[in-house]
Amino acid sequence: MLAAQAKNPSGKPVDPDRPFVLALTASGGPRIAALNAAAEAAGLTPGETLADARAKADSLQVCDVDAAADEAALRRLAFWATRYTPTASPLCKDIWGAENGADGFFLDIEGAAHLFGGEERLLADLSARLHKNFGLPARLAVAATPGAAWALSRFHAAPCVVLPPGGEAAALGPFPVEALRLSPETCAALRRLGFKTVGALLDKPRAPFAARFPAELLRRIDQALGRIDEPLVPIVPPPVYHSLRYLIEPIITQEAVIALARRLMHTLVQVLARDDVGARALRLSLYNVDGAVETIDIGLTLPTRDVAHVLRLLDLKLDALSAMRDAGFGFEAVGLAVTRVEPILARQNELIEEAGEAGRPERCAALIDTLRQRLGPHSVRRFEPVASHLPERAEILPPMTAPASWPEQETEKPRPLLILPRAEPTEVTALVPDGPPRRFCWRGVTYEVAGSEGPERIGAEWWRKNDGHRAPEPTRDYYLVEDSGGRRFWLYREGLYGRETAAARWFVHGLFA
Amino acid sequence: MREPTAFSVLRNRAAVAEELRRLLPKIEGFQRAKAIPFGLAALDHCLPQGGLAGGALHEIVPGERSTAAAFGFITALLARVARPHPLFFVLPTYGRRDYGRPYGHGLAARGLDPSRLILVKTSHRKATLWALEEALHSRAVAAVAGVIDKLDLRSSQRLQLAAADAGLPLFLLRPAELLETSAAATRWRVAAAPATRDRFGLIACARWRLMLERCRNGHAGEWTVEYDHVAHCFRLAAALADPAHAGGAGEKSFRQAG
Repeated sequence: MLAAQAKNPSGKPVDPDRPFVLALTASGGPRIAALNAAAEAAGLTPGETLADARAKADSLQVCDVDAAADEAALRRLAFWATRYTPTASPLCKDIWGAENGADGFFLDIEGAAHLFGGEERLLADLSARLHKNFGLPARLAVAATPGAAWALSRFHAAPCVVLPPGGEAAALGPFPVEALRLSPETCAALRRLGFKTVGALLDKPRAPFAARFPAELLRRIDQALGRIDEPLVPIVPPPVYHSLRYLIEPIITQEAVIALARRLMHTLVQVLARDDVGARALRLSLYNVDGAVETIDIGLTLPTRDVAHVLRLLDLKLDALSAMRDAGFGFEAVGLAVTRVEPILARQNELIEEAGEAGRPERCAALIDTLRQRLGPHSVRRFEPVASHLPERAEILPPMTAPASWPEQETEKPRPLLILPRAEPTEVTALVPDGPPRRFCWRGVTYEVAGSEGPERIGAEWWRKNDGHRAPEPTRDYYLVEDSGGRRFWLYREGLYGRETAAARWFVHGLFA
Repeated sequence: MREPTAFSVLRNRAAVAEELRRLLPKIEGFQRAKAIPFGLAALDHCLPQGGLAGGALHEIVPGERSTAAAFGFITALLARVARPHPLFFVLPTYGRRDYGRPYGHGLAARGLDPSRLILVKTSHRKATLWALEEALHSRAVAAVAGVIDKLDLRSSQRLQLAAADAGLPLFLLRPAELLETSAAATRWRVAAAPATRDRFGLIACARWRLMLERCRNGHAGEWTVEYDHVAHCFRLAAALADPAHAGGAGEKSFRQAG
């Protein structure tokens, strides 16, 4: 486990030689939340009121604490730190909702430390990059549990410390009780009782503590010593298969990224083939030299292990985004992760197959993937029927995920080839109360009806829950009319004379071939 | 070797022209894909391969206020393509207010299984062209259709080459106002015609007036056809008309100039 603590970064250019503080609104006026080295040299302390601080140091620069911006910056930093390991977790809140402090993050380096030549080298690399890329002084610690790492990073004298497993009790002993991440009331109560260091707590019987203090106390002690697990909430969901490549020289061009992605995909395909699964969703992460991270997510219709297809989709997506234009100094690390897998079912070939038949479903899925990549995820649709009488509700166009089937419909009633998104009102001359239309005017053109079929009565769906104050939908009588020129329309009259409405209205809903 | 005389030059020229006329469709790649015949001798006779060329671009222009008839014609052609392979339809969203969108139940009623159709919605013309080319190159679908407003000569040549390469038919619905020269193999104009009615007065089959305006290596013509969606076949309306009116049933055929 590794915990880092950084000073709050601010946005405006600030003179570093003069005292500079961040002020937080509190009871009694604004108080100092953080200060720089010059302010410390001037004798200011955190928690002091701003009025006293201004009296002590005359050229004081003050800025308000912006908690949201700090949290966003911390998340970006944790995101950048995923170049070391996919499990990076900012400190803000753990799963019990208790606060961990908002100025650092955890990294789970269990399987990643050996890639850097050991934990000390990883710490040195991380500390150097934080200083070079972000200008942040950091306090880092590696330990076997998150609680011990948190305490070491805050209260240990050295800025970088590695604790061998098993030494938590001895190392945490001399630290004050705040090192256990307890609430201020619990710490004050412990101090009143005479427990000033963690070591004093560790060798006492547990039952009296359980009776007098909230359960958080014993839980934090057990977490720090490793007796119970403390799960971390990673900032990105950890991928199933992951392949990362660090580069000696940063790369800028899209072709270089695609070539590198091809190599990464080849290594992933071997692992996927060994486990007999295919990728349904992938993420390409580009780690910029100056700390920004670009991620590109790709979804696929069918699980696939086809390198060329995935690379084509990545190429299309990189074309669409401006990731390459913002490359800056280049990307120093590129990672490809498979975030969703599905088993690939082996397909049995037909005995006699026409040329071009083999692999048609895969080609179809590849075509749909390419279209969705370039035109958007909702651009490829299919038809699906819905059990409803109202024609505009009788079918939906959901996005196409996999080819489906259109079940046989029992109705033989005439349905138009084209349906208008909203039925358009027309003026119709018809016999009252329920005669077919004789002449109608639609979009400025008058049509003489030569023949009509119908009516087909479609009533309102009374079983749908309606707000009490809305009147139920009127009944519709549909007519298929044909004019003298042979154009066929689908008209309906809304409302029954006398029963539902005094004057019926007519609409055009669709066009027949 | 004696000098070619005037007569032998002329005979050679005629022979060469005949040879070229035979070879030209092969060079242009029309003959690689199967043609889609109409099943009507009158129509198939006018088309160079006895049917709609299987690997070419065909333009369909609606007549006056007959967009639905043009859609119906495209649906009928798509239904005649070999089943059960998927079909591709590109629909720009900016035409939605003019003519609505295809209705699945209506397609099923016209004999085209809606589950075969992959519907792609695009928001501008370049995306439409790109989607059409992608579908042709992928060879995953059996036929491609789309609605497009402006098509200049170069884009139509590209689409024609892509269709010939893939051996798939490409049907494009073009609005009548924006027609230009294009490299399409055929251009049809479809207008609505009164439908055939059965003895109860109900509509039995849809009927359209087809005008083949331009056809490469073929003749132009004008017919009134009706489409039977159950049997997926076209019928000449003239054949069903009352024999007393046989003369004016609307089949006129004229040779292409030059």
